[in-house]
Amino acid sequence: MSKSHEWQRLCGGKAFEVAWRIPLIAWQAVFFIGPLLFMIIISFFLVKNYRMIEAFEFVNWFKMLQRATFWDSFGYTLLLASLSTVLVSIIAFPASYGLAFRVSSEGRRWAIFLLIVPFFTSYLVRIFSWYVVLAEAGPLNAVFGFIGLGPYTMLNTAFGSVVGYMTLTLPLVIILQTISLSNIDRRCIEAAYNLGCGVVRVILEVIVPMARTGLIVAALFCFILSFGDFVSPYYLGGSKPPTLPILIIDTTKSGQQWPRAAVIAVMMMLTLFSIAFSAIWYAYRKRVAS
Amino acid sequence: MSKLREKTNVGKVSRRQVLKYSGAATLSMPFIGRAWASTTEINMLAWYGHGEKDIVGAFEQANNVKFKPKYYAGGDNMLALIAQSPPGTYDVILSDAEFVQQLNAAGYIEPLDSNDYPFDDMLHEDFTKFPGHWSGNTLYSMMVRFGHLGVSYNRKHISDEEAKSYKCFWKPSVKGKVGHFDWHLPSLGMISLYNGNGAKLWDLNDGAWKAVQKTTMSLRPQVGGFFDYGGTFNSLKNGEMVAMCGIGDWITGVLEKDGAPVASVVPKEGGIQWTESYCIGKGSSKADIVKKFIKYMLSPEGQVKSAQMAAYPGFCITKAGRAKLNAVDAKEAARTGQTGGTANDPITLIKEGRIHYRNIPVQQDLGDWNDFWSEYKNA
Amino acid sequence: MDPRPITKWMFYGYIAIVFSFIFLPIIASVVFSFNSQRFPTVPLGTFSTVWYETILTDSDVWDAAKTSIIVALCTSVIATFIGFCTAYADYRYRFFGKSGFLALALLPPTIPLIIMALAMLAWFARMGISGQVWSVIAAHTVLTIPFAMAIIRLRLNDIDPQLEAAAWNLGATEWVAVRNIILPFSKPAIIASLCLTAAVSFDEFAVAWFVAGLNKTIPVLIMEIVTGNIDPQVNAIGSFVFLTSMTLVVLAQLLLMKRLGRKWRGR
Repeated sequence: MSKSHEWQRLCGGKAFEVAWRIPLIAWQAVFFIGPLLFMIIISFFLVKNYRMIEAFEFVNWFKMLQRATFWDSFGYTLLLASLSTVLVSIIAFPASYGLAFRVSSEGRRWAIFLLIVPFFTSYLVRIFSWYVVLAEAGPLNAVFGFIGLGPYTMLNTAFGSVVGYMTLTLPLVIILQTISLSNIDRRCIEAAYNLGCGVVRVILEVIVPMARTGLIVAALFCFILSFGDFVSPYYLGGSKPPTLPILIIDTTKSGQQWPRAAVIAVMMMLTLFSIAFSAIWYAYRKRVAS
Repeated sequence: MSKLREKTNVGKVSRRQVLKYSGAATLSMPFIGRAWASTTEINMLAWYGHGEKDIVGAFEQANNVKFKPKYYAGGDNMLALIAQSPPGTYDVILSDAEFVQQLNAAGYIEPLDSNDYPFDDMLHEDFTKFPGHWSGNTLYSMMVRFGHLGVSYNRKHISDEEAKSYKCFWKPSVKGKVGHFDWHLPSLGMISLYNGNGAKLWDLNDGAWKAVQKTTMSLRPQVGGFFDYGGTFNSLKNGEMVAMCGIGDWITGVLEKDGAPVASVVPKEGGIQWTESYCIGKGSSKADIVKKFIKYMLSPEGQVKSAQMAAYPGFCITKAGRAKLNAVDAKEAARTGQTGGTANDPITLIKEGRIHYRNIPVQQDLGDWNDFWSEYKNA
Repeated sequence: MDPRPITKWMFYGYIAIVFSFIFLPIIASVVFSFNSQRFPTVPLGTFSTVWYETILTDSDVWDAAKTSIIVALCTSVIATFIGFCTAYADYRYRFFGKSGFLALALLPPTIPLIIMALAMLAWFARMGISGQVWSVIAAHTVLTIPFAMAIIRLRLNDIDPQLEAAAWNLGATEWVAVRNIILPFSKPAIIASLCLTAAVSFDEFAVAWFVAGLNKTIPVLIMEIVTGNIDPQVNAIGSFVFLTSMTLVVLAQLLLMKRLGRKWRGR
């Protein structure tokens, strides 16, 4: 191969190499980074007579961050999302453990397939179902009534919201947990049993630490989804009180207050990013050390 | 050789053509929907239900048009939706009367020709010069229907006697079962009436506004939830809520027809009137057919459709419309008092001064009411 | 490991309970879709197909279905194309700023949909292009690129890197090598990605709700019925959506499981 040919190929190679990156960079710049940056800019705009006016003022930030309402919503959303994360992780774990260690690989494949199914039914339709099922005159209370309990008020409560969050996140969390549990080297577990550990100790001191990364990533996804969902707290929680996503929608609906909605959105993103980074840092920390 | 070149040329041309066509196809993607439909599409912005078959079906068939509705809840929501869309997106806009002024001020709507409409046939003279609908002698919006808001309640839990005052919302036995329609204007208006502001319910000075906030907050422990249109419906129907603040017959009427034990009355403190009016969107290319549609909705036929609307009923505003309703659906006319002469006749209620047209706050900014509303929801 | 059958059955029981929680709303919605009552309460009304008849004769549902299909098709093609390019760039090259590049591809799912919706509507409205079918397509593509990229990238993991190098040594240009080796090898993943991204787009409602304006997709229509005139049409539509999405998913699943690798021969 001649020198010039080689040179040409290298040059073509460079253009060739870069070409693969351009579609993503171009598309995400225009339709992903652009909108997000613009949203940050909007948070400094002003609204007069239902119209947004370009400006660089901190008034929206002061207005939102000084309001107790915002912080109440913020705290409530954080609490509710954390609660759902903890609950979902705990509820999912025995199921994932069972799927990973007590079910044949054929059965596990089927189970995971079944767990994918809910993602492809409309989430709204599932929530609407819960709305009917959990109602005071609904089927669930009818069952409770049959055994002499209730009726319980389940809609328009935090319980309703958490049921909705679980509907959204439980399948995903089980899938992620199951995958990370089945990747554990079984010889380690057997070794622990052979050394005389009890089941509980094996789970707590061998399995959970070994699958930590996967468990944390699963919990993180659960948190992100719950934190950002507006459907459950609205329809099942009766927006009582409103979570941050509901606050965003309310704010955009009322009087064209996009800048304030942008403030809420930016605050949500900051919260999510800091939680995500600390979770990921924690998930990978010891692994590097060991 | 020349043949070969020809061939390649052909190849090139066709490749270029392919590029051209695919480019054109990509560009025209948004219009495919429109090209498929041979009928004219009319973009409508309205409260829920106005673009459904029971209202527009007959007009669509007669005029070979198709309504494409976008629904909103609350005037602020409507303004936000218009502001976010390119000008000329909406051909016909159904607005709450109190927001017409804002629409006009923002330059979102076209003027109408007042000769097109039956102003000499109105049931009440206020309807001919409805506040905010005229700018000088130019008509900007045509009122089409109205309804009254008051106490909406479940008869099993609140007696008809108790429902004669907004006080029933504070009844201990309905704690946690009072719902709000999630829009500040009607709910706060009702509390303002309960506070005794009467005709000045929207015109609150600082003290009165503070008092309204205080009374509202005292209702908070009773409140079981804040609902949109669908949620309001469902929670009243399935007994989740037994009283609802901020609504009226427009919701309970539908449920009543469905057999639920619910009702709405105008209490002694007075009620609020919602008023809906049609406007033509600025820059609409279909203004002519929209004009025809608005005329149709004011014809006796259109008025009856509006009175029987599946999503929510509204009162007739013309004498001819009311006459026709009585002829074709005497039961609905009687249920809503649109027979003339009864005590619950909506026109009588207006004349007795028990009804106040919904308005936007006079001394405060709409934003202040909004802010308070979100504080209230959070409390 | 603990071999006692009793604990095994305890696990089976527990898994059954968790699965019934997950599937209860899905099954209930199908049941409600055949229920005659407008507001389902207990006891249920009679069996009826009235809601299916309603949606089949409702032109709004058909329009929404048309919009949904256009959006899903365009989204899947664009997202899969970009996903493939990105996966290949990641598979073959190391370069400055690669982690940022990958973050750009994989970040969208970590941002709540409501925020994406807000940001995108503001952005599109600003550029005067909101409320159009292709604004939804652009938004959905952003949301689905990560899935496309991940599926194709996983497939590329299985390829023998020697193959491409061998092709270069035999004088093939890089383009030719990609076309004749990488593309055929990735075909199942590409088809799977087309199905999956289409399914995701077909179900997405938050961003579409904000951005679509008058061009409603099916999930936006559902949203509108739920916020508006709640009625069991929603369940009937939901059952259809479920059927469509599941067909796509099963197709994707079959293609992913099919181990083309063994049968694959270089040309």
